[in-house]
Amino acid sequence: MSRFEIGRIRPIRPICILFLFVGSAAAQDARAIVEEAQKRATSESQRYEGTLRVIDAKNKITEKRWQFDRLGSHGASKSVLKFTAPAEVKGVALLVVNHPDRSSDQWMWTPAIARERRIAMQDRAGRFFGTDFSFEDLEERDTRQFDFRLLAEENLDGAACWKIESRPRQGKISQYTHSYLWIRKENYVVAQIEHYKKTQLVRRARYLDVKNVRGIWTPHTIEMHDLQRNSRTVLKIEQLQYNVPMNESDFTFQAIRREF
Amino acid sequence: MPFLFALLFLAQDYSHRGFVETRTALYPQAASNDASHAVGEALLRHESFYQPFEGVEVAGAVDVRMDTHHQTERQWRIDWRDRTLQRPALSLRRFSGQIHRGPLTIEAGKQFVRWGRTDVVNPTDRFAPRDFMTVVDSEFLGIAAMRATYERGANTLDVVWSPWFTPSRIPLPNQRWIVTPPDAPVLPVERSVPRGSQAGVRWSHAGFVEFAAAYYSGFDHLPSFGVDASSAAIRQFYPRTHMAGGDVALPAKWFTVKAEAGYFSFPDDRIDEYVLYVVQLERQSGEWFFIGGYGGEIVTRRSGQSTNFNPERGKTRTVLARAGYTIDVNRSVALEAAVRQNLDGAWIRGEYSQAIGQHWRWTAGLSLIRGEPSDFLGQYRRNSHASIAVRYSF
Repeated sequence: MSRFEIGRIRPIRPICILFLFVGSAAAQDARAIVEEAQKRATSESQRYEGTLRVIDAKNKITEKRWQFDRLGSHGASKSVLKFTAPAEVKGVALLVVNHPDRSSDQWMWTPAIARERRIAMQDRAGRFFGTDFSFEDLEERDTRQFDFRLLAEENLDGAACWKIESRPRQGKISQYTHSYLWIRKENYVVAQIEHYKKTQLVRRARYLDVKNVRGIWTPHTIEMHDLQRNSRTVLKIEQLQYNVPMNESDFTFQAIRREF
Repeated sequence: MPFLFALLFLAQDYSHRGFVETRTALYPQAASNDASHAVGEALLRHESFYQPFEGVEVAGAVDVRMDTHHQTERQWRIDWRDRTLQRPALSLRRFSGQIHRGPLTIEAGKQFVRWGRTDVVNPTDRFAPRDFMTVVDSEFLGIAAMRATYERGANTLDVVWSPWFTPSRIPLPNQRWIVTPPDAPVLPVERSVPRGSQAGVRWSHAGFVEFAAAYYSGFDHLPSFGVDASSAAIRQFYPRTHMAGGDVALPAKWFTVKAEAGYFSFPDDRIDEYVLYVVQLERQSGEWFFIGGYGGEIVTRRSGQSTNFNPERGKTRTVLARAGYTIDVNRSVALEAAVRQNLDGAWIRGEYSQAIGQHWRWTAGLSLIRGEPSDFLGQYRRNSHASIAVRYSF
């Protein structure tokens, strides 16, 4: 079988780094907590419109908008992210094909040059189109690619949370050596993730404004802070829908070239 | 019935984008056939996309141009074939309809077809004529074509048929990007654009290693020149050609290695036959991106009976590099260079670009060209220039 199977989705139990949306259970084991969190966040598909405000170290603000479509759940999913504003990046699209056992494949389509370009593994640490998300942050990961350890129980913004350490297993290529996840006990929604390179905290993602959409507790604001650049990107999620009918053919090279 | 139309209208979807750009190029040196030092251009481009039904998309784009240097025609007619010597003032840049159903996509009309994987030089990119009016700053032209793409899993098959030929637009003879020896006799140029169709097929695979094989049969979109003794004129023609080639991208630990090669054969034995190839390394790290490579050529049949205008061959036996740095969310700098291995020619361009607000961007550039008169790049040594462009995107 080919390493790359763009046309197939396999059912697995994944972890979504960026959009981890969750629910309840009494498990105290770190892996069980994370898997329960994902189980509660699982949907067949997802669509939303996102507004990004990038606030750099000098407080200059830039705004971008994208539309996000995902088919499949977490580590076996495919997603297309298409910029709708500002005008000069309108039509730029990113196709992400996630895999349960390895990092995703990513291709970016740029209308101005009418070509797609693969985002190589070693380039995934780069910022995604001037935002504070790296290409790697847009991947969805399978829990089996990580080891978890329950570190503590802490309050974060007044909510009781589990603090869990996540480390990529051997052979997993990631820019981060480890991450800390705070998962709310109340609804199993991720409250915060801190990403480290060795001992240095490089990025902090906060998941705010949690609302229940079709039974899935979902953060509607994600704030990514790049601590090395002291720059922040605030992603506001609007018009969120789950289990929207979508086709496999909307997640191909041909699809990202299309305007609709 | 009105109710049905209302429903249809609700199902419709429309999107558009575009920009207005003014660009000024300043040349400190006069050329032998062009004493002007400044060229101004203005371009309005508008692209529209319309989806009347699910699975059907119509795309259209128009360019409206004007300039100070008569590179653009001074007549207002809608041009859609892009065959004129000058740029049309009003051009239908793209107009195509697309149907997609499952893994199959069919697009018909004027469109852009890009093949190949490398940057700077693309030997297999045969359906992509360009506007080379300013040789070191070219732009792609659309072609009339029927294109069927079948994408299944990691494999994509692309079949293209173009009913008529679109040549690349070359510099105007009385302007600085055509360099003629000072003592050369002035002969009339007889240009013949061939009739006939072109076809090509490309199969690509997107696994851990990406690769593709391509075949093209048609005309060379870059012209060749020969002297017609009977009429004492220079004959500009576009020879029939066949190209077989391929490309590959291999992710390595530190760089992505990309390579592309094409073998060009010509039934007309007045034309050289050759292999063009490019090998490049590519890396993005933090705010930097870097592409470095080498473009080469192997001539398999040297005829010596004609000459040609071929920037692709002109950039072979050349070290190519491109680097960029994103300063912040609004500002970036880029550097691009091509240096011949024998150092007979070099072209270096630096660019600074800054966005202002959501719509405006200005870009300042400096192109430095040096070399020997006999070298493809070196012949333009009096065309070093500074440029500034201001763009409003909508």
